[in-house]
Amino acid sequence: MTRHQLATRDLTLCHGRATVIDRLALSLPVGKVTAIVGPNGCGKSTLLAGLSRLHAPKQGTVLLDGRDIQQLPARELARRLALLPQEATAPEGLTVAELVRFGRQPHQGWLRQWSAEDQRVVHKALAEADVDELADRPLDTLSGGQRQRAWIAMTIAQQTPLLLLDEPTSALDLGHQIEVFELVRRLAAEGRTVVMVLHDLASACRYADHLLALHNGQLVATGPPGEVVTTELVRRLYDIDCTLIPDPATGSLLLANVRRASRHSVEA
Amino acid sequence: MCRDASVHNQARQWPDAERCEGDATDVVAPPGHWHLAWQAADGSAPFSLLIDRRAFVAALILLLALLTASFAYLAMGSSSLPPQAVLAALVGRGDMMAVFLVQELRLPRLAAACLTGAAFGVAGCLMQTLARNRLATPGIIGIDNGATAFAVASVIGLGVSLAPPAMALVGATTAAALTFGLAAGGGTRGYRFIVAGIGIGAVFGAITQLLMAKVHIDTANAAYPWTVGSLNARPAGAVMLLAVGLPLGLGAALWLTRALSLMRFSDAVASALGLRVSQRRWQVLMVSVLLTGLAVAVAGPVGLIGLIGPEIARSLSSPRGVPVVASALAGALVMVLADLAGRVLLSPLEIPVGIVTAVVGGPWLLWILLRPASRNLA
Repeated sequence: MTRHQLATRDLTLCHGRATVIDRLALSLPVGKVTAIVGPNGCGKSTLLAGLSRLHAPKQGTVLLDGRDIQQLPARELARRLALLPQEATAPEGLTVAELVRFGRQPHQGWLRQWSAEDQRVVHKALAEADVDELADRPLDTLSGGQRQRAWIAMTIAQQTPLLLLDEPTSALDLGHQIEVFELVRRLAAEGRTVVMVLHDLASACRYADHLLALHNGQLVATGPPGEVVTTELVRRLYDIDCTLIPDPATGSLLLANVRRASRHSVEA
Repeated sequence: MCRDASVHNQARQWPDAERCEGDATDVVAPPGHWHLAWQAADGSAPFSLLIDRRAFVAALILLLALLTASFAYLAMGSSSLPPQAVLAALVGRGDMMAVFLVQELRLPRLAAACLTGAAFGVAGCLMQTLARNRLATPGIIGIDNGATAFAVASVIGLGVSLAPPAMALVGATTAAALTFGLAAGGGTRGYRFIVAGIGIGAVFGAITQLLMAKVHIDTANAAYPWTVGSLNARPAGAVMLLAVGLPLGLGAALWLTRALSLMRFSDAVASALGLRVSQRRWQVLMVSVLLTGLAVAVAGPVGLIGLIGPEIARSLSSPRGVPVVASALAGALVMVLADLAGRVLLSPLEIPVGIVTAVVGGPWLLWILLRPASRNLA
């Protein structure tokens, strides 16, 4: 099986004149869940957009299996890398199954519009994201969590080894967040490489195998959450003090006694 | 396709566990579709087509309605003919006067109505999809007015000897370029684009009026049909050009349908699904501007067809796709009906078709703006 590897080399991303990501070099572990964390405006979403070619680099490259993604044909990229952006909007009146079928688009063509393979994959994607019972419901009648799972089902139907999610749980209540996170774990267990931008550091510790902590466009920590998350890192990222304790059930880190940092001399 | 196939195989190898040869189940068409497949010798189906049943039925209904309206168009007018006489006249038999009326007067005008209506309908549908906004039709964002101003300028003869169709195309392109230029940064999304277009349209409208006011009354009369939109004075060359351009534009729009249906998603989603967004957007824009320019050269700015036609097409068709064919048929239908009404209502006086569509289209526009389900306008 081909191991699809996403990496960046000297990657610089800008919004206008402002540099958002500054000469970043990283490599994403294959078959694992990576969480990108950091304060608002640190460039998390921009980095994800850069990784998925939505945002063209000012300098440097994003490499997919050693090839510059800017050189890849759009459809070929869409067969290897799926992205769920933060504000995904769909045409009015589309049902869940219809949305998920759009995930097959990169595999289809004018003369190959529906195959046994498409049918099998769509079926499986609906089941995997646990939306098969909602298949015929219009998207706009679903709850936030259901809708998010429908969108993830669409990216599953794309059958890509790489899946990029931009804050997949941002508008969801706790129950729906857990549904999405558990789905992400199942996808990783099948061998997919998942990268997600997360706001919540505790969720990142709990559900990610690998953490990328960004601050002002720079990578300040990278590695397994248990190894890299320290009170110093938390203070540097979010300007808060806290006590880190392991979850008695899972062992993942929890943030307790969270308060604003006492010293405000922390570098901005 | 060859390169695609190799990558496709690579993608299929992943993940290995999913692939089991045993489950070669029958392919069932997704709900609401017909599935056509050509089986290869080894049982695989290299070619397969999905036909959306509702879109197909909608197009069929519109086609029947268009045929009926066309027949009525040929029969009715300052002197009405019974249906048998129309049929006889169509094949050149019967009363000489009826044959002349149908073949020489009404049929060419009907053809022009169908061609311009279809062109406006498709152009509107494309622009609305491009901007993801139902208000963003070429008529509203000033492209019609740009084409008109240039066409009028060429008729009045501002030292330019280009034919009206060419000038209309230049005008449509100029207006589109200005609108997109002014809305730069905001892209083709949201109100900035629409407002810029309305402004450009107003400027070109004023230029047209100014040109008309400056010239001799006879010249102004010659240019007048272009300013209101009429099928009464059709430049023969412009109709021929449209007759060639419409199939090309329609073909291009059909070729773009898969891209168009992806364009209705937000850009990030469309691009993640393998759409080359900016490239496709240019192509869609060019087809829309071309069709608008050619249609304005024949009938003047009857741009509300571009609003009403796609609207009818969408309400009849399925939300799964972009109704290109249905928009063409609905545009033609509305144009034929509007021109028929213009000819018949105050007979023997004739109301220009542009005025009829404005009278019908104005309230329609208000209804779109005011009805509660218009949340996708922004």
